[in-house]
Amino acid sequence: MKKWLVPFIVVTWCALPLLAAVGCELNDPDRDVKRLFPESTGYRTTYASIQKKGGAGLLQQVEQRLGDRFKGLFETADVPYTLYTIVKGQEAIGYIHGVNQKGRFGGIQIVLALDLEGRILAFYYQRLTNSDARLLRDPAFGKQFIGLDLRDFNGYDVASGRAEPGSRIAAIQNPAPRAEDDFRASLRAVKKNLILSDEFLLGNRFLGKEKSK
Amino acid sequence: MKKISIYQIAAKNLLRKRSRSALTIIGIGLSAWVLASLLGFNQGYDSALKKDIDNMGFQVLLTAKGCPYEAATLMLKGGTGLRYMNESVIADILSQREVESVTPMLMQAVFDPDRGESGAIDAYLGVDPATFPQMKSFLKFKQGGWFKDPEAHVAVLGYEAAELEQREVGNKLLIPGKNIELAVVGILERSGTQDDGTIFVPIRMLQKEFGQQGKLTAVGIKVNRNANTAALENRLYDLPDVQVVSMAQVKNTIMSLVATAKVMVLSIAVIAILISMLGVINTILMSVLERYQEIGIMKSMGAMPADVFRMIWTETVILCIMGGALGLALAFSLAKVTDLLIRRLLPYTPTGSLILIDGGLMLTTFAVVLGIGLVSGVYPAWRAARVRPLESIRSEGD
Repeated sequence: MKKWLVPFIVVTWCALPLLAAVGCELNDPDRDVKRLFPESTGYRTTYASIQKKGGAGLLQQVEQRLGDRFKGLFETADVPYTLYTIVKGQEAIGYIHGVNQKGRFGGIQIVLALDLEGRILAFYYQRLTNSDARLLRDPAFGKQFIGLDLRDFNGYDVASGRAEPGSRIAAIQNPAPRAEDDFRASLRAVKKNLILSDEFLLGNRFLGKEKSK
Repeated sequence: MKKISIYQIAAKNLLRKRSRSALTIIGIGLSAWVLASLLGFNQGYDSALKKDIDNMGFQVLLTAKGCPYEAATLMLKGGTGLRYMNESVIADILSQREVESVTPMLMQAVFDPDRGESGAIDAYLGVDPATFPQMKSFLKFKQGGWFKDPEAHVAVLGYEAAELEQREVGNKLLIPGKNIELAVVGILERSGTQDDGTIFVPIRMLQKEFGQQGKLTAVGIKVNRNANTAALENRLYDLPDVQVVSMAQVKNTIMSLVATAKVMVLSIAVIAILISMLGVINTILMSVLERYQEIGIMKSMGAMPADVFRMIWTETVILCIMGGALGLALAFSLAKVTDLLIRRLLPYTPTGSLILIDGGLMLTTFAVVLGIGLVSGVYPAWRAARVRPLESIRSEGD
């Protein structure tokens, strides 16, 4: 009896702290999945947090990879991330993952569609508050991220906003010079998103290999 | 010679058929769990709803005339009033002797095209810094505090609103479409109410920026202690173009909606209890029939019918005590899980804990389970007490 009772109690109690902080879920998963992966037949939703997966050690590792500390009241280790694994029949064909990021005038939510190798297939803002938001939400801006993966962000310093000259990140154009803060916040959000996707979905495929591209 | 008590005999009898006894205890336990959870839901829902309504800070809400359901939504979930009242209504309200204080409110909404695929509505609640904080004195701040200037371009955010907007004190907030920048001066702690998702701004500033000078969407009214609220409501109905929403009415309406769900759950509990009663009768009766000869020998050795009755009844009591304890342990430890399940089922649930299990409720549940067990044990014990020694011994070879 003890064999099933203990895990049962642990699982039911552990499910409750997920309510503690807010993550970034798709507004309309059925519609968004079909739009980003038209060939998909379904998706699986899983939840993960840094606190539950690896605690302080994992937070330190994520911050190290990001090159910046998690900051403020709401960027914390207990934030639950919603991870969508997209399937065609029984086969996984990609992932969708969104993150929250502090912007100049409000919360930014950036959603990435990834292939199974962790390359960006699509980028879009689910939420953005800025008087020049329409320039950043223009599909032409999002297209600049297609094909990038975590290795491309290795030389990008999220704290200073500096990218290695000649790198693919340095080539990304900001269409809204007045919204430079939110442009840099967006690049930080993309890097954070890719790191968390690597940790939660890709089995740390890029850990320690960021420079090998 | 070592003497053995009737309780020891009863316990040993139950241990002879461990699986059957365990299954019976589990059956009683599940019934007790359902019963305790139901009784806990009865008192928890009432208490949580009362807390939600008390946390409104006012007992009566006056809104511009319109659909009463919109008014209810405005109070319970936040939302936008579609019509406006003139500010002069405040003087009329304050002239009523039952009124202790009032707080004017203006809700405004803007369309934010940069949310999701097709945009969404952002709402702002304009409040009076002189009266609103006093009425909501239970709200605590995680950072900063209330604004003082009714015309300042500042905002206080409920915890969830701040989390969604990733705002902290000192950050800027932009009202989309109008390009109005607000400085965040306070972040509230999580209160478990609709205030968690609200963006509070000074009412005069909101009136001016949205061109609604002298207009209100709602007035919160705090009534004097022991005042006749019903009489006040009747007089407020006489004011032109307003509607009165009493928190007591809202509570009664919600409680009547939930009553149907409660009756359904109660029916399930009654069925579960009946099934467990039958289980107890079956277990004990089987045990009596299996020990037919044994009981006959006990009687031939001097056991009186009352002794046999007591022994069998004791077995029932032991089963019920263990099942009741198991059920209460389940109800207590899984109250949060039950709470989550109920929230998924009901259309509206208050924000506090829906399952409230206290000492009194545990004792009541235990007494009910024990009472039912004692009743269930009467028939098998009576059958055992009526066993005739010679008949039972002769039947051994049958």
